[in-house]
Amino acid sequence: MTAALSKTVILWIFVAAVLVLLSAPTIVILGASFTSGNIITFPPDGFSFKWYAKIAASRDLWQAFLRSVYVSAICTIVAIPVGTLAGIALAKYAIRFEKSVQIYLLLPFTIPLIGSAIGLMLIFGEARILGQLWPVGIACCVINLPFMIWAVTASAASLDPDLELAAASCGAPPLSTFLHVTLPAVLPGVISGALLMFILALNEFLVSLLLTDARIVTLPVQIYNSIRSIITPDLAAISVVFIACAVLAIALLDRLVGLEIFLKSK
Amino acid sequence: MSEKSEMSLMLRRRRFLQGAATIGGAAGLSSLGWSSAFAQEPEKPAELIVRAWGGSWMDSLKAGVSDSFTAKTGIAIRHDLTEDNEIQPKVWAAVAQGRVPPIHINWDTTTNATKSALRGVTEDLSDLSNLKNTTDLAKPVGLDGYPIVNTYGYVYVLAYRPEAFPNGAPKSWKDLLDPKYKGRIALYNDGIGFHFPAQVAGGGKLEDIPANMQPAWDFIAKMKEQQPLLGEDPDFTTWFQKGEIDAACTISTNAREAKKNGIDIKWVVPEEGAKFDTDGLWIPKGLPANELYWAKEYINHSLTVEAQQIWLDGLGLPGVVPGVKPPADLVDDPSYPTTEDAFKHLIRVSSKVQVENESEWFSKFKAIMQG
Amino acid sequence: MRAAKSAYPLRWRIMDAMEAFAAFIWPARFGRAIPWLMLAPALLLVGLLVLGLIQIGDASLRTLDTTTFLMSESYTFANYQRAFSESLFAAIAWRSLLGALIVTVITLILAFPYAYVMVRTTSSITRKLLLIALFLPFFIGQVVRAYGWLIILGNQGMVNEALGLVGVAPIRLLYNYWAVLFGLVQYMLPFAVLMLAPALMAIPEELEAAAGSLGAHWVATFRHIVLPLARPGLVGAGLVVVTLSLTDFAMPAILGGGSQDFIANAIYDQFFRTSDQGLGSTLALLLVAVGSLLVGLVFTVFGAGTLAMGRARR
Repeated sequence: MTAALSKTVILWIFVAAVLVLLSAPTIVILGASFTSGNIITFPPDGFSFKWYAKIAASRDLWQAFLRSVYVSAICTIVAIPVGTLAGIALAKYAIRFEKSVQIYLLLPFTIPLIGSAIGLMLIFGEARILGQLWPVGIACCVINLPFMIWAVTASAASLDPDLELAAASCGAPPLSTFLHVTLPAVLPGVISGALLMFILALNEFLVSLLLTDARIVTLPVQIYNSIRSIITPDLAAISVVFIACAVLAIALLDRLVGLEIFLKSK
Repeated sequence: MSEKSEMSLMLRRRRFLQGAATIGGAAGLSSLGWSSAFAQEPEKPAELIVRAWGGSWMDSLKAGVSDSFTAKTGIAIRHDLTEDNEIQPKVWAAVAQGRVPPIHINWDTTTNATKSALRGVTEDLSDLSNLKNTTDLAKPVGLDGYPIVNTYGYVYVLAYRPEAFPNGAPKSWKDLLDPKYKGRIALYNDGIGFHFPAQVAGGGKLEDIPANMQPAWDFIAKMKEQQPLLGEDPDFTTWFQKGEIDAACTISTNAREAKKNGIDIKWVVPEEGAKFDTDGLWIPKGLPANELYWAKEYINHSLTVEAQQIWLDGLGLPGVVPGVKPPADLVDDPSYPTTEDAFKHLIRVSSKVQVENESEWFSKFKAIMQG
Repeated sequence: MRAAKSAYPLRWRIMDAMEAFAAFIWPARFGRAIPWLMLAPALLLVGLLVLGLIQIGDASLRTLDTTTFLMSESYTFANYQRAFSESLFAAIAWRSLLGALIVTVITLILAFPYAYVMVRTTSSITRKLLLIALFLPFFIGQVVRAYGWLIILGNQGMVNEALGLVGVAPIRLLYNYWAVLFGLVQYMLPFAVLMLAPALMAIPEELEAAAGSLGAHWVATFRHIVLPLARPGLVGAGLVVVTLSLTDFAMPAILGGGSQDFIANAIYDQFFRTSDQGLGSTLALLLVAVGSLLVGLVFTVFGAGTLAMGRARR
């Protein structure tokens, strides 16, 4: 009993520390957004909704947000098939030059974002596709692709090779096996990977900065740019609205498919 | 309803809308006056994109120049808030690849703009009609013609919290070497604005720039012992507001911004002097002819007394057109030089010398500070 | 509908057609190519970055002429010479490498128990809350998040005010190396937990219970059963954290007070401040090389981590 207790206590000390670490700045920013002063402070300097009123009145912000959602959608739609296929391939098959392939597929993480940004700007510029939003989505997909691949391979661990073999030996053709056995097994990984891709694209600013212009600026780029001059509480308010949207989306997801799907492989 | 009749209705409606637009356009034209209608202006673009710094910088540009330009011409102005140094590779790549650049007008530091001018990506602005009314400050030093037009000047002052200087304002940059300011000083992270006064404070001569700047490096090495914070414009305002620093070498506008937010803050030009520099406007190459025409008109408009007055009231900086009055809080302020005497205390180095050596100065500064 | 019951269902027909189509474009004799075909889209997408790298490689061999601000026409290794000879770059490279390693170790130590509790807890509410707490920080950009830390850890921040109550003078907690590492750990934690969780799920709970019933202390169970079995997840999470922190730009810029640059900051300076794309490209390429070497080393020493899990069990 005491051993079990010590285990619980020690584990929860770590969990509590991580929770504080993760949430402290969020809570501070959340509180600071209701300040009536002109500076982000905590505890807030008086209470008001004036910064929310300010951002609510801004059509630019709203449009930038919609663009960000569009970019994230493109990113996710591309990432799902690409990452799922690659993830399954890596998990299932012994591939020649596997180590090289893996190092190659990790390039999005080993190339500094500034390098990727400059490179993609030159490539897209040469292809005359700058000034549109979809290439930004593609770019966000490329730079975060390893997350998608890994989310899938990680859940492919629960993919029982015997099960696939059984399906095949029962006469199931390869596509059926893939659709009815392989895919359902990696579905949790696909969903959590897709969610991560969406969220990361929704917040990406450095690569998007070089790929957008003033007509198609996305929300994180707009925030990044306005931070470069002075930091005012409206940025806190935007963050809070962003969080509220996220919580709503997560709640909706929980209702529809159940959050458990991220952590239960079957 | 049949598809055909629906279509014809739509067509009719579209034609009607077009007609209405023409009438509206004509009305707009008449308000401009007959002279401009007969001048055969090139076709107006729906909007022009002006790169600007955000916050109060953009607010003042919008109030002073953009809004009045829109009122005069009907062309909307969109502000691109990408940082000046981050838009640079975008514009350069666009020109190199023969694409239309992402902005029409760049509001830029003269140093950065000079790089673009040397690279040949700027349009010549010598034919702007309002240039004849400007002071010498408007002309870029060391460049042919007007690849950029300087629109105002600014001073890298020594800003300080009076509370931390009980014996009165600091008189010299050397005062910052007092051990009690250890960790309480802020400089720009590339040392910009500090190199030249450091040259004087270190016992060197301004004439030796760029040949011998050892005195500057010696002084900066001493300053390194004070463990200064290094940042960019918004950092200075934030750090003053949050009580992280007591003194900084920064553009007076940032200090004034913190002051507006209720922070007790003052600034001086120390005895060694302070760096004076300019910002300007320029147009990248590669725009369609009509957009180029209206972009030039925008810059021309920014050189009117009316536009300068409102724009620079917001920034608290001296303009390039005679007749612009300083805002009430900056009369006789060292950060708002108007007389020859005031300029004597300021250090101005040609932007050509600056851009040619900047890279080296910058890495020297970094090497000292990151060491 | 009723007729369909006895007849061949439509769904089967469609499946058959699709199988036939699949067999047509993807005959069985292509079997060995299947993994490569599945990898192809990903390889192509990342190929966009490789195209960019080629441009960067070209630029790295040209020097900047500061009288025209154009890159030289001829190729030279001058930038590489500079990168290797200037002590500034060596100092920054060492700082980033060491920082990335420290951040990885601390992040894994913190993320492991969190992921474990999240996976093993019997309460679905707890699990959801822990999961949500992971995702929320993403929605406050790094810059605003850093501002939050300034409010908490700044000279006049909450922590120093609390210390002031017990008579401790304000301590500078921000704008040093440790502040940067702290910010990186906070930024990397959600990634690490998300990479670890699937690996922990793959460990059967019964295994731990069995060890416990045989009298093993939970610490021993952790050391001899959970940790070794979670190794793929630890390697995967470690790789993500080490590569992302090695190439990070924002945290050193915001929490380092300007004197704690990482390599990405030096690259930024060259591209955006001194307009020297040649030197910037050189530093970027060298960073890619170092990062890839590190990844290769980890793969060689620990195996491919998370990626190999599915096969490892076969």
